[in-house]
Amino acid sequence: MTETDDRLIRCFSAVFPALAADGIRSASVESVEDWDSLAALRLAAVLEEEYGIQIDLPDLQELSSFEAVRHYLRKRWGVS
Amino acid sequence: MKLIDALELLKKPVPENAPPLRVCLACGFTPLHLQTFLAAQLRAFLPQHRVEIKTGLFGDLAGNLERLSSSDVDAVAVVMEWQDLDPRLGIRSLGGWRAADLPDIMESAHQRTAQIVETLKRLSLSIPVSFCPPTLPLPPLFTTRSQQVSAYELHLREIVASFLALISRAPGVRIVNAQCLDELSPLGERFDMKSEVMAGFPYALAHASVIAEILATLIQNPPPKKGLITDLDDTLWAGILGEVGVEAVSWHLDQHTHLHGLYQQLLASFASAGILIGVASKNDPALVEKAFTRKDLILTHESIFPFEIHWGRKSESVQRILEAWNVGSDAVVFIDDSPMEVAEVHAAFPEMECIVFPKSDYLAFWKLLRRLRDLFGKIVVTEEDAIRLQSIRNANVLREYSRTTHGSLDDFLQNAEAKILFTFGKRASDARALELINKTNQFNLNGRRFSESAWSSRLKNPETFLVTATYEDKFGPLGKIAVLLGRVESKTLFVDAWVMSCRAFSRRIEHQCLKYLFEKFKTDEIVFDFEATPRNSPLQEFFKQWLGDLPAHGFSISKASFFEKVPSISHHVEEEVIDGNG
Repeated sequence: MTETDDRLIRCFSAVFPALAADGIRSASVESVEDWDSLAALRLAAVLEEEYGIQIDLPDLQELSSFEAVRHYLRKRWGVS
Repeated sequence: MKLIDALELLKKPVPENAPPLRVCLACGFTPLHLQTFLAAQLRAFLPQHRVEIKTGLFGDLAGNLERLSSSDVDAVAVVMEWQDLDPRLGIRSLGGWRAADLPDIMESAHQRTAQIVETLKRLSLSIPVSFCPPTLPLPPLFTTRSQQVSAYELHLREIVASFLALISRAPGVRIVNAQCLDELSPLGERFDMKSEVMAGFPYALAHASVIAEILATLIQNPPPKKGLITDLDDTLWAGILGEVGVEAVSWHLDQHTHLHGLYQQLLASFASAGILIGVASKNDPALVEKAFTRKDLILTHESIFPFEIHWGRKSESVQRILEAWNVGSDAVVFIDDSPMEVAEVHAAFPEMECIVFPKSDYLAFWKLLRRLRDLFGKIVVTEEDAIRLQSIRNANVLREYSRTTHGSLDDFLQNAEAKILFTFGKRASDARALELINKTNQFNLNGRRFSESAWSSRLKNPETFLVTATYEDKFGPLGKIAVLLGRVESKTLFVDAWVMSCRAFSRRIEHQCLKYLFEKFKTDEIVFDFEATPRNSPLQEFFKQWLGDLPAHGFSISKASFFEKVPSISHHVEEEVIDGNG
């Protein structure tokens, strides 16, 4: 597991407190009941603050799973 | 606090049986991260509580406040923004910024504030209301350049200032200080336009965190410290008295020792608000006595009690001052220019806030002045504050009398011309009664504290009675010094809370309180909701006179037993009934 993964897991764990540690990497809009529009905004705010980035509205739609967020951070912001 | 830290704090488990703290966050925008930060700050301040934040409808601040029932929450936090005064003052409305619209916007703001004033006044009668006035920059709706203020903008700010002045007079309203906010959150970094447009949440995260922290402080309303113990040389004044002499110690602008004058000025302000000021100095007592005859001293001899002037350890002086004041070390601040003395006192009293006086660091000194005001800040100065020092002096006269003359307490009290006024009545606005309940430790039946809303709701119970006792004797008034809260059920009298200020010890006021209850209620037995606390041994010792042993939970005393063992009590007693109590 990379340092980026650790940071991202911490973000997910904070935004989705009911999510078990071993379920974070497979978390998605479909699998996490609490992942509503409010949680999506909260996740975006946490990511912006943690990584010092600005997430545009169209990009927000992409962030629909742990894997998608990791991919977005790497591709759009060069976080590896 | 970062958002992720706030979320992680909220994940931590709450202790089982933690009492709830129900706070309504009323705002016109989506509460989103402000709600998270407020919950987290309250958890950080009050970890033994289960914090619950309730919110209202988006875009309807006035309606949210009007719909709020005081029985639903323990506190209200109101966060107002410009668009709550008129939607055109925000960016989510396209209602028009034409020059011709401006008078109407002013009128609308005026009407809206008038509406909210009445709602806040009503709410604050039963629950504390913390209020944050608009914090964001106004949008560019006025016709002037941003460098030049518009007459309309000034008028708008005047409307808000008048509104704040009105609500500040309501006893339960606490308003966020804009100066404090300005220092912690730069104006240019507060607004998050993207978040406002996307989610209806106008604040940058850092700004939301600062607002939440200040609101949480106002909601928590921590009790102020009670006393300050100060050194003299190079602290209260510049110079070593024993070396330079009485006339050469200074605190003046022309001698570049002005910060000592400012320090005296702050301490004199504290003394005028009932904060105790004591002196602990390694010095020659005669010289200090002479120094305090100087007419240009800002903090006068009369404002200080006691003086501990000798060459012994500072911690011994501090111990004696605490005994004279009869307060705990955690309620006191110690200030000395010597780091060694500060360390010595702190080692002896780890709970005491001990501060090195920054005699040559102006920035640190400025921060010290602000810090001290924060530690001792109080919302109102009561009658009891005004007489506190005198009554402590009187209590020491009594102690000294007992110690030196071995005279009987009966003789002393009979000659003291003591008067007790019992006030029978439930007045929720009596801040002194709740203050006594919440800060008294030693003579306290169970150590139970009440939030303002819990106190108010308790008093509304028709079975509840409230009695307060006010005392004075020939040495001066002690003010309101005892509070009894109880109820009558099936002809049995239950006392649920009883506190008495430590300043009132050794005057048999507690005996007179019980006598009053037995006679007032014509009851044969009083049941006490007693709990032992780490600090209520004086109360336990008092009851031992009747029980023969330390009291146990739920003990009772019969009328016959009380009158059989009560010592002579010779106060002149008066009663005042202020409503249909009990």
